[in-house]
Amino acid sequence: MSLEIKGLYKDFDEISLYRNFCIDFPEGTITCILGPSGCGKTTLLNIIGNIIKPDSGTLIGFDKKVTSYIFQDPRLLPWKTVKGNIEFALSKDLPVEEREKLTDRFIRLVELDAFAGYYPSKLSGGMRQRVSIARAFACPSDIILMDEPLKGLDIKLKLNLIGTFSRIWQADKRTVIFVTHDVDESLLLGNEIVVLSQAPVQIIVRQKVEIPIANRSLDSNYLKELKQILLNALGK
Amino acid sequence: MKISFTSKQYVSLASVIFMLAIWKILSMHFDSDFVLPSPEKTFITTLSLFGDSHFLAIVGSTISRGLIGFVLSGILGVGLGIIAGINPHFNAFLRPMLVTIRSTPVIALILLALIWLNPGSVPVFIAMLTMFPFICTNVIDGIKSVDPDLVEMATFYRIGRNRIIRELYIPAILPFIISGASSAMGIGWRAIITGEVLSQPRYGIGTLMQAAQTFLNVDAVIAWTILAVLISYGFEKVIRWSELKLIIWRF
Repeated sequence: MSLEIKGLYKDFDEISLYRNFCIDFPEGTITCILGPSGCGKTTLLNIIGNIIKPDSGTLIGFDKKVTSYIFQDPRLLPWKTVKGNIEFALSKDLPVEEREKLTDRFIRLVELDAFAGYYPSKLSGGMRQRVSIARAFACPSDIILMDEPLKGLDIKLKLNLIGTFSRIWQADKRTVIFVTHDVDESLLLGNEIVVLSQAPVQIIVRQKVEIPIANRSLDSNYLKELKQILLNALGK
Repeated sequence: MKISFTSKQYVSLASVIFMLAIWKILSMHFDSDFVLPSPEKTFITTLSLFGDSHFLAIVGSTISRGLIGFVLSGILGVGLGIIAGINPHFNAFLRPMLVTIRSTPVIALILLALIWLNPGSVPVFIAMLTMFPFICTNVIDGIKSVDPDLVEMATFYRIGRNRIIRELYIPAILPFIISGASSAMGIGWRAIITGEVLSQPRYGIGTLMQAAQTFLNVDAVIAWTILAVLISYGFEKVIRWSELKLIIWRF
């Protein structure tokens, strides 16, 4: 099964971002979207998440899908603990025990068990982003949308969070759409990598990454070659 | 850290002693209980107030007037403040009223209230009018300070409107409500007692102050004043304490 967007049109501030744009996302995989800043990557995520309406176009397979988000900043409620923040994203329709179970499980997976009762102000930036990752996974969604969640973090923290993320994802295999401007991030996390052009947006390159996520190294020749292709497509 | 804290307390203590010393010197200079009784005589008078058979009724009346006024203005201020914070048109509608109430001299409000209301209600009405603008303005500022990214996050996660208000807006404006309550209380007690002096309800600190002034019982006037200050101080402490309890995520 695939999720598809067909014939998408969207203007934003009198710039036509999307003109007859088509893309598909295979389910159960991580699709990375690379592109120059201002090309409307966030707008695409917002259209998928049903936050903004396209001017026209059809979204196929998205209608009954539930989405969760990982933002660039963690966006945690300062007055809720780590646990409370994760629970916040869970529907009150779920029974209490179910919510507890989900929350505890993902707090363990992001290795914050010792900090479950901490308020965000007492956590480091990386820990906060881990809470935000746990929140997105704990929410029983079909698709996780990520809008440059690693932007501005130092390389060590970045690799650490990529590790955390891929470990949870392996056990979960949820559909992920990951917007980034960092080629290395996409090489480490993407099952498929899509490079978008400036507005009006077109797909320049679409590449599958054939190595399992757990076994990737940026030093391998395969990823080095792939990186070159992506960089060329981005015009760098 | 601890040392600097206690040294600060010493300085505060020195300030109190300084005020008492000035008072003592002035009372010795005037040498008349009808002008300025000595601190120790006033202190004894203050203690004797507690023995007054109506003491509880008097102090209780003033405090309950303050609390009723505070609760009413709190409900009104938080309610209208939330609506005004969310709806700019309502805010524009409310703004001139708040400014008018705030800039009207308290004494003018009291004089009008004396014509319109019975003596017991005048201080409550005055307390409400003086406290309401503080609480309301703070709530409006609080709502405006709510991080739009958090609201967006909650919308993205399909959180319902009631939960957004309860779990996002209310906690976000809580610190603003508390600081509004603190300034409101500070000004409110003064207004209530002024109201009591002029409206003369049966029981009330202001009523007794006025009576003491009529008979030139200066020590009693000051004694009631000290009591009023203590009540105001007590409530300020309660507000600070509730701040620590309610806004634990900040500390």
